[in-house]
Amino acid sequence: MRRMIVIWLLAVLAIAFLYLGASTLWFDTPAPLILGMPPLVFWFLLVPLATPLILGALYLWDKRANPQQAYFTDPPS
Amino acid sequence: MEDGPLILLIALVAVIAITIGGIWYGRRQSNNLSGWLVDSRRMGPFLVWFLLGTEIYTAFTFQGLAAYAYANGSAAFYNVALNDLAYALGFFLLPAFWLLGKRYGHITQSDFVASRYQSPGLGIFVALTTALIMIGYIDLNIEGLGAVVTVISGGAVTGIWPDILGFLVLGLAVMFGGIRGNAWQSAIKDILMFVAIITLFFIVPTHFFHGFGPMFQAFHQKLQSRMVLPGINPKMGILWLITTVILTSMGQWMWPQWFGISYTARGPRSLKLQAVFMPLYQLVKWMVIVIGFAAVLILGYHKTEGNNVVMMLAGHVLPPWMLAIFTVAAVFSAIIPAGPIIMTSAGLLSRNVYQKLWPKTKDTTTYRLTRGLVLPLTFLALILAEAAPALIVVVLLIAYDFIAQLFPAIVIGGLFWKRATKEGALAGILGGWLVAAWMLVTQHDPWHGINAGFIALLVNLVLFFGVSLLTKPVNRLFLREFFKTVHPESR
Repeated sequence: MRRMIVIWLLAVLAIAFLYLGASTLWFDTPAPLILGMPPLVFWFLLVPLATPLILGALYLWDKRANPQQAYFTDPPS
Repeated sequence: MEDGPLILLIALVAVIAITIGGIWYGRRQSNNLSGWLVDSRRMGPFLVWFLLGTEIYTAFTFQGLAAYAYANGSAAFYNVALNDLAYALGFFLLPAFWLLGKRYGHITQSDFVASRYQSPGLGIFVALTTALIMIGYIDLNIEGLGAVVTVISGGAVTGIWPDILGFLVLGLAVMFGGIRGNAWQSAIKDILMFVAIITLFFIVPTHFFHGFGPMFQAFHQKLQSRMVLPGINPKMGILWLITTVILTSMGQWMWPQWFGISYTARGPRSLKLQAVFMPLYQLVKWMVIVIGFAAVLILGYHKTEGNNVVMMLAGHVLPPWMLAIFTVAAVFSAIIPAGPIIMTSAGLLSRNVYQKLWPKTKDTTTYRLTRGLVLPLTFLALILAEAAPALIVVVLLIAYDFIAQLFPAIVIGGLFWKRATKEGALAGILGGWLVAAWMLVTQHDPWHGINAGFIALLVNLVLFFGVSLLTKPVNRLFLREFFKTVHPESR
């Protein structure tokens, strides 16, 4: 379970870095335009598309390895 | 607006039809408190998705966020970041709440707190105080509804009347429909909102700028100061963004209604799946922010009240039939999300305050009392909306400063740290609230660029850990079983 929590926290930190670290380090500038958009506008369009990929990978790993699954499994739908 | 009365009439008919639909759909599931509040924990992923979505996509998204972008520029992006970070946190937290709720029979957040700390008193305290904070959230939606009706009527319907309409529709729909009826209404509301915002997002650049490229170019040339942080408000710099996003993402799942919504799910796996796909919803928020930027160029800055900019742009560019759909979506974005909030508030007061203080109260009486509290609570929010009208985002941010103070007691102490005590939890919450209140009243928000609620949270954490270490935790055997539910042995 500890391993699952560590991996989950890493995913949280990765998403926090994309939104708070990367945006302020590299995109908090008026120029140059990226794909025709101001850098912050571009970045805040891109990260919501990247976040499901990170959480999706976490979901697939979690489904295979999370010990909670054995404790209370979902009833069949 | 020439077609304003017709559009308002169409919107009113649609509101009545969808309200009756929600009542009809929810009637079979709403014959006891568990059915009414958490649909007896059997809601499928489809309805849970819309229930989660409807709480994120409120009048705030439809109007408040565009107003914030219009008034403050890029600082509005805090709201895109906050929800995605919250979904990442929710990936673990919501299933954990569900597991404990299933095992110990929790229906409300207060049940969880009372159970973890073995303290009915702490449960009553949390129930009572959070129910009051939530009234601020209901007020936000009533104000959003007022802004829609005022703009569509061309200023003819103003003052208390749009708010009274919202109060009646909201109160009746919640009282008779329960959470299942609300989920059905949420599905319709979210689809309408998607259609409305995406339509406006594509029409605004075409109509006013001859395309997306020229619009972004205009942002670059004429709104440079708004395209970076701190933008036009020197108080909202990078430190403000970071502390606000951390505070609000930690606060998101502390709203009591989220506990109720997570308990409606059939199982933890469907909650994890929601966390994966919910970030895609954020694209709609991004569109709303872009519309808010465009409004500065189209309407001029400080030429209109912030909360009205989206409806004003819609009035400029949409044909009447589309504006009618837009109005219905905007009205529902104000009414439907308030449903779970009112239900939770009523449930907390009846089940976790009244029934705990008078334990002989029968479950059927508690259920009737919960439903009976719906209209008085909504009325309180109506009074608040009339007494202290404000920019929608300001209401939301202040409410978050307070609700986020539950994070140490509920998440750290509730799911991870066995040594936490009820005294530590109470000291942290009270300390955090006092600091937040003092900073807000003395206008120290933000303080040196840091969100006031974040500073309050730091004080809260010191008190929570310090007092917990000095006081006695609950029975070790109980704690072992409680935590084993969330942290089972690895296979």
